[in-house]
Amino acid sequence: MPDVLIADDSEFMRNLLREILEEDHTIVGEVENGVEAVEVYKEQTPDLVMMDIVMPIRDGIEATSEIKDSNPNANVIMCTSVGQEEKMKEAVKAGADGYITKPFQKPSVMEAIEDVVPS
Amino acid sequence: MNVDIQSLGTFNQLAHEGAKQATQSLAQMTGIDAVVDVTKITLLDRADIGEDLAGRDFVGVQFEYEGVLEGDTVLVFDAESADTIADALMAGASDDPGMAQSAVKEIGNIMMSGFIDGWADYLDSTIDHSPPEYIEKSGAAVLPEAPETGDHRQVFVFKSEIEWVGESVNFYIYMLPEYEPLAEAMVESVDTEGDAIPIDKLQTFNEMTTKGTQQAADNVEMMTGIPTEAEVTQISFAPIEDVPKQIGTDTYVGTVVEFTGVPSGYLMVLFDEVSAVNVAEAMMPVEMDGDGLDDQHKAAIEELGNIMTSGFVDGWANVLQTSVDHTPPKLVHDMGRAIVDPLAAQVGQHQEHAFIIDSKMQTDDIEFSAEIHALPNEQELRAALDDLDVDRADETEADVEQIFE
Repeated sequence: MPDVLIADDSEFMRNLLREILEEDHTIVGEVENGVEAVEVYKEQTPDLVMMDIVMPIRDGIEATSEIKDSNPNANVIMCTSVGQEEKMKEAVKAGADGYITKPFQKPSVMEAIEDVVPS
Repeated sequence: MNVDIQSLGTFNQLAHEGAKQATQSLAQMTGIDAVVDVTKITLLDRADIGEDLAGRDFVGVQFEYEGVLEGDTVLVFDAESADTIADALMAGASDDPGMAQSAVKEIGNIMMSGFIDGWADYLDSTIDHSPPEYIEKSGAAVLPEAPETGDHRQVFVFKSEIEWVGESVNFYIYMLPEYEPLAEAMVESVDTEGDAIPIDKLQTFNEMTTKGTQQAADNVEMMTGIPTEAEVTQISFAPIEDVPKQIGTDTYVGTVVEFTGVPSGYLMVLFDEVSAVNVAEAMMPVEMDGDGLDDQHKAAIEELGNIMTSGFVDGWANVLQTSVDHTPPKLVHDMGRAIVDPLAAQVGQHQEHAFIIDSKMQTDDIEFSAEIHALPNEQELRAALDDLDVDRADETEADVEQIFE
């Protein structure tokens, strides 16, 4: 099963993502800001990071950029409420591999993951 | 037509002074101690005028006026207060329905004469008005038909709220001027061209905000399964000190974010307490024990506020081809005015008046309603509207698949 790190400042959203993913994935960590996301990524090197954008301390785009700098093969899917074109372009520039907008349902999450980390 | 900030401020002040004059007339006639609570100018869709009066019965008076400004104006109050007000003018008037109606007409006549005369004096012209017509209706029907606006669906409405001190009685003055005379009066009162906003851009922005509200409502529906409809979207202009009064004294639960970019400002997503519990429980996978809001409810509200905020502002960013960032949502649970006060104080460091963007949504299925209020920096909103290409107004959604191809 692929290892997944969930980075989202919302406890509610972390719980929701965990429920969606835990049947087919191993959740290696749940963090609530971009700094922790980078730290845990470097410790665990999971197969996939589900990354929120709007988070305190360091946002998800900066964290993605840092993770991609440390490992260009890292897989990061932005999982965010932000639906702005400019922000999506920033995410592409930072190296994001996929983008899901909240609110989402399980099929769209699984489809995005399949695109990035084929089973 | 351009509206400049100074003339909007002047017209708002004029309506406020007119309402004060009406209040003084009321005090002289009846001894009622009343104050003008809020005066604001609102740009909204014709169909939404008087939405805030829904579900209540009113009595009052209506006038037509013509001259330098033309249109209709009404002074109304809750029907259940009519007897109290009639008796304040003449003891025992409420015992005789004909006398009570006459008293209401006379109070309205004197109050509104003061209101209209103030406008005429400022505009250095005359405004004639018809004799008062007694009205007794429910909800928005108590207001006159919205004026013809040519190609424009949106209209300016001047609204003042007068509070009877110590009593739960409010008087409402609505003035619905016809578009062309108002536009001419505004153009003539323009002092500077530099801060003018083309009215078509303000209207386009209002339409974009309506789409943003519907997106936020769709997001609520997707997260909760509660069918949710956007109800009203409007842009109001009021002095900073009046902004908190508009949110009222009811208790709300919701989120506040600061957004940065062009424009910057603050955005609140607010639920009344019952709605907050209902919507949070609809988001939970399991039924919750106990009453009231616990930490899980609050976490759900925080995330819903976050997603609604994005749904609301993303359209602005996409049409303006810019990005609008916002801070993580901060949960608030307090009286409406107390939530808004510190935000208005922040915005008020740079400006005397504010544009307030208000949206409402609700559902018939369960008790649920939500309000979104945005308080943008006025100069930056003006800059954003300068850059707004009205031909792009439909392009509120980004195509994620194309970007990630």
